Amino acid sequence: MPDLNVDEMPSGTSVPVPAKGVSPEVPDFAFDPTDPWTETFQKGLERAGLSGKRIYEVGIGTGTNVAFLLRMCGAAHVSGSDLDPRLVVLAERNVRSLAPEKANLFHPVRGAVSLIDTEEARARIAETDVIIACLPQVGDPGDRRLTAFRKAQAVELPEGAGEKADDHIAHYYPWAAFDEYPFNSVGLGLNEALLHRIRDHAPTAQVIMNFGCRIGTDIIFELFEANGFRPEKLHSQIVRQDAGTDISFFVMLEKALRGTGLEKDLVCAFFADEGALRPLSASEAQDLLDRDPDTPLYHEVCVIRAVPVAA
Amino acid sequence: MEVTNAIDCNGLSAAPTLLRIKQALVGLVDDALPLEILVDADCDRDRLRRSLGLQGDAVRLVSRPQ
Ligand SMILES: C[S@@+](CC[C@H](N)C(=O)[O-])C[C@H]1O[C@@H](n2cnc3c(N)ncnc32)[C@H](O)[C@@H]1O
Repeated sequence: MPDLNVDEMPSGTSVPVPAKGVSPEVPDFAFDPTDPWTETFQKGLERAGLSGKRIYEVGIGTGTNVAFLLRMCGAAHVSGSDLDPRLVVLAERNVRSLAPEKANLFHPVRGAVSLIDTEEARARIAETDVIIACLPQVGDPGDRRLTAFRKAQAVELPEGAGEKADDHIAHYYPWAAFDEYPFNSVGLGLNEALLHRIRDHAPTAQVIMNFGCRIGTDIIFELFEANGFRPEKLHSQIVRQDAGTDISFFVMLEKALRGTGLEKDLVCAFFADEGALRPLSASEAQDLLDRDPDTPLYHEVCVIRAVPVAA
Repeated sequence: MEVTNAIDCNGLSAAPTLLRIKQALVGLVDDALPLEILVDADCDRDRLRRSLGLQGDAVRLVSRPQ
């Protein structure tokens, strides 16, 4: 991973310039901040006009976005938390080394915080202008109910897909635990749970969220509209499907719709090429992977800003 | 109408609604049926029923009064 010297980042550049000097600490349990998802997210954040805004990041990871918001976007201050309590400690160290002169503008909420489910997190959210997040959008392959549904569609879990990588919770969420949320049926339950909480605790705040668009952008827009937000795309990029992340979740959704007359209403959006000229359904993408697990596959990642309709 | 224990599908278009119903029905024992499914008032129930096929007997589509 490249070294980052934040002092050498020209202003207005979203991708930190690799150089000798300070580099964020990225242990195996943290989501790699050089991943194209994070790069896409930061380009979107840069376009969002966040100067002077009070921001909260749910799922802070290494803290790379916090440093970026403080150094490059002129945020007034940034708070944040993560379900993995080690990450906020890591984020504090990384913010101190990546944005030393602004580190006092970072207000970490320590401990294991799911979404914003602690008093302290809720108090911070209540004084926030913008909430940002990039949360898992695939149910945990080991989830018991999801496994039953997978079996009902006769979809196999590819070998190794159920194994837990160190950064497992960066990619998957406990699916059954979020089943009270309607959009859980397409893997957006955790994200919908966050929108509910934001509506309750920060009803005038905007949200900026980063999504993999494998399930289709239309459904992601419907998620926001159904929850009282008006969505707009800030930025989008085609990225390579992470080789280690299971896509059979999407295959079983497509399979469950076969023969129902609704199969055309939900076709997942993968591509065989970086230019996104050759679309593939999830089932077609999985067939290619079954033949050769190294087949490169691509999908869109997009940054969506959503403002509450009622505000 | 007071609806308890219903599967909430409000805000979902037809395909994700169908997926949600199918997911809810997996592993459910017969005496828990029919399952109440809360759908939007403008949901096309006939289309949904056709898509459910035989599984349609296991559900009751209801909507909240507007
Ligand atoms: C894909 S990573 C993104 C990290 C960072 N925000 C970025 O954009 O590079 C997802 C992050 O969300 C965290 N996470 C997963 N489930 C969460 C939950 N229920 N509440 C809060 N954070 C969660 C993970 O630990 C991980 O740090």
